Amino acid sequence: MKPENQRLTREQVGSIVKMLGLTTDREFNCSECLQHVSEFAECRLANQSVGEVISQVEQHLALCPECREEYEALMKILKAKP
Amino acid sequence: MTQNEINWPVALRATDSGEQAAAVRALRELLRNGLRIALNGRSDVSEAHLEDFAQESLLRVLDRLDQFQGRSQFTTWAQAIALNVAFTELRRKRWQDVSLDALMADGERLMDSAMIADDVLGADEDRSRLVATLRHAIEHDLTPKQRAAILGELREMPFDQIVAMLGTSRSAGYKMLHDARRALKQRLHAAGITGADIQNAFNL
Repeated sequence: MKPENQRLTREQVGSIVKMLGLTTDREFNCSECLQHVSEFAECRLANQSVGEVISQVEQHLALCPECREEYEALMKILKAKP
Repeated sequence: MTQNEINWPVALRATDSGEQAAAVRALRELLRNGLRIALNGRSDVSEAHLEDFAQESLLRVLDRLDQFQGRSQFTTWAQAIALNVAFTELRRKRWQDVSLDALMADGERLMDSAMIADDVLGADEDRSRLVATLRHAIEHDLTPKQRAAILGELREMPFDQIVAMLGTSRSAGYKMLHDARRALKQRLHAAGITGADIQNAFNL
């Protein structure tokens, strides 16, 4: 673990605060996000509005950098499709 | 027949072994090509890695075939699984040398007042009050594992790695983090700081 003794940066503290602002009582976890992210990505690609369930994917992606990284990679693949 | 015209769930379950084998080969190629696009430019990914990820992903997709509900194209669903397999492995390799002791010790540093400077978000009264309340909540409302998990995330440590080190499952680990965020948020609410205040006043 690299910067063990360093103070948290503005971005890191801001990240905690931002996560708290987005926190709701009911949220998708990573597995639920993975179940629905393909549908969400296709809606986004087609500029279609997303339903209530799928909007929870959007909220999870805002909170989870790992699922967001995978979603962005998925969009890269979909956009490269002939 | 193009990949878009294949009825993948049917072809992958075909009783004709020749048809099924052809579908498996085509899916493996599709996953590998997708991974090549997604991971292009990464210095830690070789052609051999792509082959390994494609094979592992193929097995995962076949194992979860019954979970595909047709809400998206099959290929998009399968690619999402493949990316999860590949990124999980890449993150695991990057963080494999970190110990549980280091993670827990780092988490405890969150209680050190020097870790979060009073003026880290700005010097005005509202921001200083937010930081002070947050620090108090971290110290009094979280367990050591919750502090370790939060700091692990701030260090960009993969969630799979954090939960493995803390000896919990992924779903239990996510619940632990969710409970931690809710506890911190409740403390802010009790101090009169709402989610909307955070979003609006702090522009984060």
